[in-house]
Amino acid sequence: MRQVYRLLANLIALGVVVQVASIALAWFITLHDLDEGLVLDENFDYNVGHVAHAIGGLMVIPLLALLLMVVSFFAKVDGGVKWAALVLLAVVVQILLAFVSFGLPWLGALHGINALVVAGLASMAARRSLKGRTRESVAA
Amino acid sequence: MIAAAEPPGPGAAAGADRQRRLRRISLAVAVIVSVVLLASVAWVWQRSLLPDTYSVMDMGYPDYGGGAVPGDEPDALAMDGHGGHGTHGGDGSVGVDTLLGPSGQPDVSLTLTARSETIRLDGEGAREVSGFTLNHQSPGPQITADVGDLVQVRLVNESVADGIALHWHGVDVPNGEDGVAGVTQDAVEEGAEHVYRFVAEDPGTYWYHSHQVSDEQVARGLLGALVIDPPADDSATPPAADHVAVVHSYSGLRTVNGTVGTESVEADPGSTARVRVINTNDGPLRTWVSGSAYRVLAVDGRDVHDPEEVEDQAVVVPAGGRADLLVTAPSDGTAATVDFGGGARVAVGPSDGGPVIGDDPSVDLDLLSYGEPARTGLDPAQADRDFEYRIGRRIAFLDGRPGFWWTINGRLYPDVPMYVVEEGDIVTMTITNDSGEVHPMHLHGHHAVVLSRDGEQASGSPWWVDSLDVEDGESYEIAFVADNPGIWMDHCHNLPHASEGLVTHLMYAGVTTPYVIGGEHANDPE
Repeated sequence: MRQVYRLLANLIALGVVVQVASIALAWFITLHDLDEGLVLDENFDYNVGHVAHAIGGLMVIPLLALLLMVVSFFAKVDGGVKWAALVLLAVVVQILLAFVSFGLPWLGALHGINALVVAGLASMAARRSLKGRTRESVAA
Repeated sequence: MIAAAEPPGPGAAAGADRQRRLRRISLAVAVIVSVVLLASVAWVWQRSLLPDTYSVMDMGYPDYGGGAVPGDEPDALAMDGHGGHGTHGGDGSVGVDTLLGPSGQPDVSLTLTARSETIRLDGEGAREVSGFTLNHQSPGPQITADVGDLVQVRLVNESVADGIALHWHGVDVPNGEDGVAGVTQDAVEEGAEHVYRFVAEDPGTYWYHSHQVSDEQVARGLLGALVIDPPADDSATPPAADHVAVVHSYSGLRTVNGTVGTESVEADPGSTARVRVINTNDGPLRTWVSGSAYRVLAVDGRDVHDPEEVEDQAVVVPAGGRADLLVTAPSDGTAATVDFGGGARVAVGPSDGGPVIGDDPSVDLDLLSYGEPARTGLDPAQADRDFEYRIGRRIAFLDGRPGFWWTINGRLYPDVPMYVVEEGDIVTMTITNDSGEVHPMHLHGHHAVVLSRDGEQASGSPWWVDSLDVEDGESYEIAFVADNPGIWMDHCHNLPHASEGLVTHLMYAGVTTPYVIGGEHANDPE
């Protein structure tokens, strides 16, 4: 369980990296296409970067955070439940920030910053699971 | 670990026992919390799943707008029935498949054949894009009829895999001719055909487009213009030129009548041209005129009463909407331009006259106060029903997909209000938008007049619409007469928004549909 906890936490942190990469990709592709004569209007088809970002942010990472929360109850990681809860909370805040930013685009800046919070918390959770292992192996 | 530190003895055994029990309890709590957490997410997800096949008659819940409940009367609305197959149901209800145009010899008759093929876009930076065509072209052929003409269109699907249907946007046709797959007909499958018949009653600018998988099929080209000319003795002096401008973006290229860049309309210096702007895109179209003052002669196929000259203001045409502009070719031999942004424009003047290209003005023409008041023949104080159409947005699952989905009166598709009316009702509706994005709201089969916006009364010409942009934070009050029985879509014409559930229906008591969403024809109107 502890390994699963660590795997999930690391996947979330890695997921944030993928999210950052996909949204950067999305807009660089768009800017490039603008040079080719693309008109950005409501008929604009989202490119592969946008689609990846939506799938990662609305499906993959929330599911991982939820699973991390569940696994934390059984993983016997010191403070594991707390860190999993913080990760889940940060993911929820991240989705809320994305949601309100369509109407209040300036809030979108916080969406970018909070992404780093998600990654940081997930990394902390992963590190915690390592600490637990050390203590356990000593006790054994 | 604390237990291990204690000296061995009976107390230690009890302590270890307590520890074991504690561990068991916390494990049980963990299991319960986990199950509750996962089960509730799974439950919400499962609940959002749409059935493969359903009737819009079974969708949502009836909203009577404070008026009489037709269900109280015998033989009235059958909300749970599918109306049987065709003709008049046994319960006295009328099937939409019986609400058809008249028979007889058509005055305008044509065949439109839909194909999945390459569209060639002409003009500057011409290129080919993959999409759908009607008679090998997109936009499809322009249909022109005189008032009173019986129009007959035979639609043939040669190679559009998902099936097709044609909706006559803005034309208040009989319900059975409305062309909405799964509501007023079945999608026309490959190799099949369907005939539409309706009388061209109101002169003006309209368009037609697919209403099967419309978010994809319209964007990729299944559309065309429809113009109904007034009676010959009607207009005093018609403009020297009359030009339809179908504005459409194909794969990120904005075009006018399928042409990239500037399209020329030949006009002598000082003469006028009527430019019929049709916004077939999913978003608002800012349109401005350079080199000439202009007048907005008509909006959504209805004349503006006494339109004054406009200068240095843009007119915003909602998605699906139309605006007829009267433009004068400059006397100095240059060409005035009607500019649609994205490099797409129409130049009005001598063909060798250089086009006058100006910047997008920062001010928009406000149609709420444009033109002079006139009688509408509709008294909102006598309204039989008053509906609320409140658009919001929520984080939720829609058919199993997590996302930010649109709500109507706080409810998510398909659990949305169905606006029930009786024939002859005067109806008022308040459309409010707090969803963060603009929504071009389109009511099929009717024209509504704008009464007010954010509490400010309309003070110009009667502003009749079938497609109305309701911006974020805005609230419009509109009124219409329920004079066209049927089951009418009332949806956002940003078509991806409609496919995301911003759709409901105006339902006449006693009218049912035998068609279903899904089913063997895979009907998918949005």
